[in-house]
This record gives sequence, C-alpha cells and structure tokens, in this order.
Amino acid sequence: MDSVRITKIIRDNALYQCLECGKCSAACPRMLAGKEYSPRLLAQKLISERDDEAFIESSVWECLTCSLCQERCPSGVDISRVILEMRALLAAEKGLKGYRAHDGALHSWMRMMTSPDLKQNRLGWVSPDLKTAQKGRVAYFSGCAPYFDVFFAHLQVDTLTIARDSVRLLNFLDIEPVLLKNERCCGHDLLWAGDRENFETLCRLNYEEFKSAGIEEIIVSCPECYTMLGTHMPEVIPGFDIKVTLLLDLLQKEVRKGGKAFRPLETTATFQDPCRLGRMSGCYEAPRFLLGQIPGLVLREMENSGRGAICCGNSGFINCDAYSKNIQVQRLREVSATGAQLLVTACPKCMIHLSCAMRDPARNEKVEVNIRDLTSILARGIEWTG
Amino acid sequence: MKRPNLLAICCNWSPWTCLNAAGRTNTQLPPNLRIIRVMCIGRINQALILKAFEYGADGVILLECRDEDCRYGPGPAVGHSNVQLVRSLLDLLGIDQQRLVECRFEAHEKDRMAAELWAFAGRIEAMGANPAKPRQEREAV
Repeated sequence: MDSVRITKIIRDNALYQCLECGKCSAACPRMLAGKEYSPRLLAQKLISERDDEAFIESSVWECLTCSLCQERCPSGVDISRVILEMRALLAAEKGLKGYRAHDGALHSWMRMMTSPDLKQNRLGWVSPDLKTAQKGRVAYFSGCAPYFDVFFAHLQVDTLTIARDSVRLLNFLDIEPVLLKNERCCGHDLLWAGDRENFETLCRLNYEEFKSAGIEEIIVSCPECYTMLGTHMPEVIPGFDIKVTLLLDLLQKEVRKGGKAFRPLETTATFQDPCRLGRMSGCYEAPRFLLGQIPGLVLREMENSGRGAICCGNSGFINCDAYSKNIQVQRLREVSATGAQLLVTACPKCMIHLSCAMRDPARNEKVEVNIRDLTSILARGIEWTG
Repeated sequence: MKRPNLLAICCNWSPWTCLNAAGRTNTQLPPNLRIIRVMCIGRINQALILKAFEYGADGVILLECRDEDCRYGPGPAVGHSNVQLVRSLLDLLGIDQQRLVECRFEAHEKDRMAAELWAFAGRIEAMGANPAKPRQEREAV
C-alpha cells in the first residue's frame, strides 16, 4: 500500500487526533449487530501497523459509512472520509473489492451511464398533471429513480412516486422545473464503492448536461444526490457554479414564509433520519418542522433518532449481509416500539433497504410497517391559506 | 464499424446439444459470437446480463431449453423474467431492447439454432454499435 498517501489521508482527516477511546467502535451499528468490527482498531492499524494489510482491507471495505462513529468521536476524526479515500486508494492498487449487493447490477448500469453517446428514455414517468419546462434556469434532478423503480418493483418501492411528488410540490410553489433527458446517476454508489474514475466521469457528463441546458439551480429530493452534487461534485469540477438546493430546505423556507398549510392527516408517525441527510448534510430540523405542520400527525421519535439515528443497514449497495439484515430488523423493532402507524423517511435508499428487510420471506417475526417518503406525505396535503 | 461483439449464454442441456451437433456437422455459426456455457439459464441473473453490456457486448442471446425440458425446474422461466427486467433497464438507458433476446430449443434443433444465431448476428450488425460502450472499447473502435 502507498504509505505516503495513507499518511496524507490520516493527516487530512485528523486521524492522528484519535484518543483510542473506542467510542466509535461502541457506537458502530455493525459491531452492535454482532460483527467483529472496530473503527478504532482500523485507526490504530492505519497509523502504526500498516503491514497488516488483510485487516486494513477488510475493515475499509466492510464499513457501512453511516458516520455514526464520527458523530460520537470526541476528537472530530472524519472517519467516513478516511474510508472513502482509503477505498479509492485500495481500489486503484488492488481492484474493487467490496461485496456488491445484487451482484453489482446497480453499479453496472451506473458505469454504463459513463458512455457519452447515451440517449436515455428516462422521462416516461412524467404524468400529464406535472408542469415542467423545456427551458429554464431551475432543474429537478431525479437521479436513479426511474431505474430503481424497475429494479426494485418486487419490493413495491415506488421511487418514481417520490419524483412525481417532488415535481408536484415544486409546481405548488410556482416552480416549473426542467427535467433533463440525459442527466446521469449522481455517482454516489460508485464513489463509495471506490470507483473514483467513473464517478468523476459521471460528474463531468452531468455538469456538461446542466451547462448546455443553461441550468443555474438544481433541486434534489434525494439526500445522496444532494451530498454528491453539493459537496463532492465541486471537488471534481473546478469553478462549479451551480446552486444545489435540497427540496426539504426549500419547502421549510417557503412554509415559514406563511400562506401555506397542510391538510390534516390523523396518524402517528416516526422518522428515520437518513445518514446522508442528517449526519452528512446536517439537516435534522427541516423534516421535523415540516411533519410538525401537518395537523393530526403525531411524531413519535425512535429510541435512536436525530444525530444518533441508526443506519438503514446498507449504503452504496455494497456489503449487504446478515449483519445488515440484523441492523434493519433492530431498526424496525425500534419503529414498532414507538407504536407509530407510519414510518417516514426522506431517502429512497432507506425505503428500499428497510422494505427489503420487512418483506424477507424467511423471517417469522412480523416487522412490517407502512413506509412512505416525506415528499409524498407533504405533496398529498399542501394547500394555500388566507 | 468493426464486427459487433456478440455473446451467447448457452444452457448445458438441449441448446448445448444443438451446438455440439452443429460443430460435428461443420455447420457455420457467426464467427464473432462468443459462447459461455452455463449449467442452466436459471443461474444467470440480471447482473450478469448487464455486465455483458457494460463490458462491451453489442448483443446478448440466451439459449435456453423449453420449459418442459428444464432439468432443474424453473430455469427458462427465471431466464425469461430476468430478460424482461434487464430489457426495461436497457430501454431506460436508451439501448435497443432487441439487443437482448432469448431463444428456446429442443435437443435436435441444430439447424434452427444456426439459423437463429445468423439472424441475430444480422440484426445486431444492422443496428450498429451499442451506444453504452465502456471507455476502453470506445477507444479501440
């Protein structure tokens, strides 16, 4: 392994500040699910025992990248970033190693999107009631939603409903977004799987697509796309000058201005904080504020929520295993314990992973609960008042 | 354009018997066709078919047994549902769905198999290169 680069990764992400207190390992959902897994030990090996390559490799690839360890770290070590950069380093030296869920089908289509000549048919989901513009300065980024909708149809995860409801909400705010015919995957799963080269290609192609359509602002509903377009894409594209807005932030701002209200929804709900929304983008308040605006809806927090929310079990579609399933079932038990009738999430991936655990035919225990995306709940009942 | 890259994924039983018979009788098959033998088409999942396209295939054909001939049970039915799903994904990617086909054979149908493979090769050649080519393949053209 390239020792000089590892030292740089350690320096850049404050890993030398590690106190070896072990809070990261004690908080790690993988560890709590019974796997022998320790971010603290990885830090120690990276700093002082680099010849234990087997240990370092397996630890780097098996992380869920949920950032809970980072949240608990008293020294502010950016562990997720260490994992991200170590994966890119290891992938370049030894090839892509993480076990890819669904045999890598998702990563395959994401890589196919790096072909510049691609002419996608991705807008079949746009129903006639949605108002969209051919030209304009604001675009809505639907990412991989059309693809997930096909691939996960058997889980009844309707990711396109999220896209349609997002456009409905934008229409309500008098925004007619441009829907780009050839936007590509944001590259989240490729980047976190260590495939930096193809991630950068996707970034460049997406940026060209935005620029050639004259887009100045991109609105995204998916937290993963938000971190990619908002944080990682500017690192790849010098002079990145497009504003990236999270739909939830926009809605919170607009609702606060007044004049808008939601129709009542008599239910008890609980909220799953997606790691990319909460811990990576710092957005905890907007979803709770918006849910609080719905009359009749009672929000009951889970035992671990907000900053301490537990991962939905998987990220970037790598390393899904029995421990991931265990984490998901624990999470669903927390949902049942709140007595909520509805599980609300804000990331399509949380919805996919938790639905997958709910519908596991091999499980006797009933952990099924009605799960919906926040955008769908908001779009069903927003109206003007006064 | 150079000759298209064709991939046949062939079940070990009836279709492979056809291929063997074709070989014994010196029946000409498309020279740009690569053949992968698997024990059953039911083993091939969506990821493996997608991977063929990701690695630069211009067309993929699944050679299957008929439903009632499958040695393992649901092989051809699984193959069929995988093909349907991958075709929907190819359509989203803007790749012609006809680039992925499945064909079912009985063990004695070597002539029909040769004819189907030539027809498949002709159709793909007429369509031209697959628009979703990986970088290394694009540069070689």
